[in-house]
Amino acid sequence: MNELLLSNIRWQDVVDVTLNSYILFRLYVLFRGTTTLRVVVVIAFLWFFQRIAAYLGLIITSWAVQGVTAVAAIIIIVIFRNEIRSVLQAKNLKALLWGFPHGTIKTPVEIVVESVYEMARKRTGALIVFPAKEDLKELVQNGIAWRGRISKEMIMSIFWPDNPVHDGAAIIQGDQITDVGVILPLSNRKDIPFYYGTRHRAATGLAEITDALVIVVSEERGNVVVAKGSSIRVINRKEELTTILQEQVGVATKGADQTRNEKIKTGVAAVVSVLFIVGVWFSFPRGLESMITLEIPIEYMNRDPKTEILDTSVNVVNLNIGGSGTIIKTIRPDQVNVKLDLNKALIGRNTYTITKENIKLPPGAFLKGVNPSVVEVTLDVPITKELPVQVDWTGKLPESLILSEVKLYPEKLLIEGGSYMLKDISTIYTEKVLLDNISESGKISVKLALDPALLKIALGSKDRISIEYVVKKRLQ
Amino acid sequence: MRYKILISFIAPFFIIFCLSLPAYSQQNENNSSTPDSAKLTLAHAVMCEVIQEFKPWNQAVVFSITIGKVSCFTSFDSVPEKTYIYHNWYCRDSLSKQMKLFLQPPSWATFSSIQFREADKGFWRVEVTDSEGNIFHVLRFSITE
Repeated sequence: MNELLLSNIRWQDVVDVTLNSYILFRLYVLFRGTTTLRVVVVIAFLWFFQRIAAYLGLIITSWAVQGVTAVAAIIIIVIFRNEIRSVLQAKNLKALLWGFPHGTIKTPVEIVVESVYEMARKRTGALIVFPAKEDLKELVQNGIAWRGRISKEMIMSIFWPDNPVHDGAAIIQGDQITDVGVILPLSNRKDIPFYYGTRHRAATGLAEITDALVIVVSEERGNVVVAKGSSIRVINRKEELTTILQEQVGVATKGADQTRNEKIKTGVAAVVSVLFIVGVWFSFPRGLESMITLEIPIEYMNRDPKTEILDTSVNVVNLNIGGSGTIIKTIRPDQVNVKLDLNKALIGRNTYTITKENIKLPPGAFLKGVNPSVVEVTLDVPITKELPVQVDWTGKLPESLILSEVKLYPEKLLIEGGSYMLKDISTIYTEKVLLDNISESGKISVKLALDPALLKIALGSKDRISIEYVVKKRLQ
Repeated sequence: MRYKILISFIAPFFIIFCLSLPAYSQQNENNSSTPDSAKLTLAHAVMCEVIQEFKPWNQAVVFSITIGKVSCFTSFDSVPEKTYIYHNWYCRDSLSKQMKLFLQPPSWATFSSIQFREADKGFWRVEVTDSEGNIFHVLRFSITE
């Protein structure tokens, strides 16, 4: 069974599994840590559940789960469009195809922390956004593209009270301040301390609807507040802020164990991707096994050039071919051939049984039956033989007459055919000549009726016979 | 009455005797002697409907099945010694009947016959051969409706 299964694996299947495993693995790498990946996993589970339900014949369950899966697939695209877009837009083609997140540009967290606490000390209000995976473009407004490399002086200058953009938020991605003067959505929460102003509400507003982290430097109290998710808290120690920022931007100090764990996770993800796709490959095409019957002509190979095929019991065979529905649908008659090796055939009748060795099928298809499975091939050596001709009289003469004498021109003819075939033939006959119309002596010309039809009149011989006949009255 | 019983008793034996005879031979009227060194020579060979007075009647190459019987008549004008010949009857290239016929010097005529059945319609030929199978002559004929 296993051998049969392995022998039916096509190179296309290997490419199919490899390609899709890699795509799945890349999706994992790109979306790991996001909500999208978790939802995709749920959808994959639903799909498997649907397949199992279909296999068990649970029609309604299968139908319902199929519907849910389809709807979920649409929902994931709609709801997580920003997340998906940020993953696909933020990275170049190389990053999408084979890049790993390890190579992303690191944010100089220390400079940011130093700048934040410097501004706090000087009571300079500031609002700094650190996006994570989710795209913020549709949630924020009025941003001015900045794209400046992070430095303490730059951060300080952006939030300097005389700077026109100091009231808005600055967005930091990687080692750049990408936008400044950004207006963030305000929170409507009632539990925010009353003394927090618009800047804090803006920080909370963005943090609670995205995965971004927002730092607020209070102008009035000179403290540093971090908003992440639904939490908003004051951070008094630089080290704590450094740790929080490192976690947010993905540059948290990684120990050797953590790095090894990540590598193991990636490896496991790669293996799971391959296993998943192999599972799909086994379940999908194998589960839809079907059969086709093709009428294929037999090719007779390696015949001795001195011989010729005189006769065959069949020239075409019906092949019952099984395989997955996909393979069977794409199968073409020219991909299938039946070959009989006549290398060891002898003069005369040879009997062959058509086996799998005689049949070439496309990969993935397998032979279920051959009809007829036995073929008789008669080989012969072509010769020329001189044979007398006889007239094929038919019908009836009038009772009073007799056909007393017949002369033929020519009386003999050279006939070409196989020696085996001609061995038992000692006469060739004309086509039928009707007696009913004959009432007196005369002369007619008729053709030969060669039987078997494989016989041929030799080159140079006449193909018509002249018959001169004598009719006499019957003696009583 | 006694004659009728006698005839009815003898008649079956007579019929069987006649049928068992593969051929009927008759010494030719010409009794002129032939030198021993002469070769056996076929003078005449024909297919006919009937033999009457040791002569073939209604020679033909096509015979109706309704006639029921056909004969092959052969005469040899040079028979150097007592010997025999064969009349080999072939129906559609298949040997149907072989008749061994004896010849007496100095000349001899002989014939063989066959009865037809409905299935015998078709091509026939009679090969006239010597005792060693050498063909003197081939007579071809057809049996039709």
